Amino acid sequence: MVTVTLTVNGETRTAIVGGETTLLRMLRDNLNLTGSKLGCDVGDCGACTVIVDGKPVNSCLMLAAQAEGRDVETIEGLASMDRVHPIQKAFEECASLQCGFCGPGVIMSAKALLDEIPNPTIPQIRDALGGNLCRCTGYVKMIEAILLASRNMRGEAVQSIR
Amino acid sequence: MDKKPKVAEKDSSVESVLKDPGILRESVASPLVTYPIEVVVPKARQQTPAVGQRATRLDGRLHGLGQTSYIDDMTFPGMLYAKIKRAGVASARIKSIDTSEAEAMPGVMAVLTGKDVPNNAFGPSLKDQPVLALERVFHAGDPVVAVAAVSEQIASEACEKIKIDYELFTPVLDPLESLKLETPGVHAPSANIYQKKFIKKGDIEKGFAMSDHIVESQYRTQMVEHVPLEPHATIAMWDANGRVTIYSTLGRITLGRADIASTLGIPISRIRLVATIVGGNFGGKNEITTEPVLALLSKKTGRPVKSVFTRPDEFIASTTRHPLIMDYKTGVTKDGRIQARKIRLVLDGGAYCSWSETTLSKACILSAGPYNIENIYAEAYVVYTNKTMTGAMRGFGAPQVCFAYESHMDEIATLLKMDPLELRLMNVFHEGSISPTGQKLQSVVVKESLLRAAEKFGWKGKGSGTSGGKLLPKDIIDATTVRV
Repeated sequence: MVTVTLTVNGETRTAIVGGETTLLRMLRDNLNLTGSKLGCDVGDCGACTVIVDGKPVNSCLMLAAQAEGRDVETIEGLASMDRVHPIQKAFEECASLQCGFCGPGVIMSAKALLDEIPNPTIPQIRDALGGNLCRCTGYVKMIEAILLASRNMRGEAVQSIR
Repeated sequence: MDKKPKVAEKDSSVESVLKDPGILRESVASPLVTYPIEVVVPKARQQTPAVGQRATRLDGRLHGLGQTSYIDDMTFPGMLYAKIKRAGVASARIKSIDTSEAEAMPGVMAVLTGKDVPNNAFGPSLKDQPVLALERVFHAGDPVVAVAAVSEQIASEACEKIKIDYELFTPVLDPLESLKLETPGVHAPSANIYQKKFIKKGDIEKGFAMSDHIVESQYRTQMVEHVPLEPHATIAMWDANGRVTIYSTLGRITLGRADIASTLGIPISRIRLVATIVGGNFGGKNEITTEPVLALLSKKTGRPVKSVFTRPDEFIASTTRHPLIMDYKTGVTKDGRIQARKIRLVLDGGAYCSWSETTLSKACILSAGPYNIENIYAEAYVVYTNKTMTGAMRGFGAPQVCFAYESHMDEIATLLKMDPLELRLMNVFHEGSISPTGQKLQSVVVKESLLRAAEKFGWKGKGSGTSGGKLLPKDIIDATTVRV
């Protein structure tokens, strides 16, 4: 067993986990943050994407112990009680999620992208979603939502979408 | 009928409500019904006001917040984790199962084999599928032993310690082999062909005789897995009153409840099946899989038991799309009129029936395509093989035959040196066409749709779709360009 202390969504959290525990399992089982999903457990689907020190990471491929001392952002950290994050709002407005299982991972990938590039091009968005599989939507509405979110976050007036 | 009950609208002002509190109430008795009831039937092709409106999904916000509770996100006090030991061999007789080492492991709470299942057979149409394989194994994903333990890891480790001794048989893997009478039955003494369908319209021989050209081709499609992002998951809780509550990713709970009742041998009223939000179905979650096993493990341990398929489980043990072998023979005149079409479909049904009956019917009914053909003969067979079972998947066989008949149309167009669009326009269904099974079709807009699509697509006659008019990846990006 190892003791892991890390920052999750701005709070310092500690858990005692088995050495083989992945960051995803620790978030879900020990910290009760079930927003990040387990889809394939081999790093293919991206449903477990979280942001570690500013970079999107497949949390099913990272050991909890490797996250020691790092800064982890999960889907639960985006919204506050009175405000939905602009990316989440855009995903809702564009109806970008259907079954929703890939959603938290996709939104975290989008967040990492917009943190780095506030005004991404469509190829850059497609590239950023390269590690996220979605079986329902065909991605078009997700790209639409990320463009909308990027405009909103840069404070540009949005007349209408579509 | 004409006097509608007054119910306050959302935007009723406080003043109006105060003036007449009666408008807050629904009328007690329903309004008198006069016969015949007038039903408003919208005119064909009339758009409803909903078309073109923007709408958001009711569950969209929770999905985006990560607050939606799928089964793997739920825990219950004292919950155990189940793992299934799968056969790993395609066709075999089980000589012995030794679970003693697994049972002795600390943390293992229950081990279940086929002997513990009251009625060890289920299936949505034919009951040919064991809950846990007992005597025979019919495909590599067959569940043989189930283990419930305090953690997922202990359950997996226990599965590895279970020893199963098999007498291996030669598996039947090719559906065309399986079709032959001399091939040993997968489920002997039952025949390998477990369902067939024939459609006959007009006189096929006469049709071929009237044709100038006969085109023959064979098309094959592959097995496809649904790959829902959320794997199959179940939580079962058997309570002290003999009732069981099951949380399941199952799409058809009413059907599933009956199947669970029959396998468990308890009245349906004792089963509470909770359909949770499902992370993708696509037809793969239309029937029960491990639900009875989980229920029995919960009964044995007195604790809630959860099981989530691993991704490999999804591929080898859940249903898949039927691979089809499709033989097409079409007679056509010089100017492109189709006179006759003969079709044979062989569906690879895998080890169990699942939704093969539905798939077979739909594939056969649609196999001639949306074309006016006077003389049709179609036959379809679904056969057992020792492979992962095939079942429902979006379209129930329609996409496979569509691939075949449209490829076939292109081949005919090439032979006749005709524009493939023109060939289709000449033969396609119109208002009032009769389908191969005798249905008079209404609201048919295939021709208009084709022409609109051709216009939007920039179709410029013969062959332009495969060379000059081909879309480049850049254009596709532009086509999906999002107007913000």
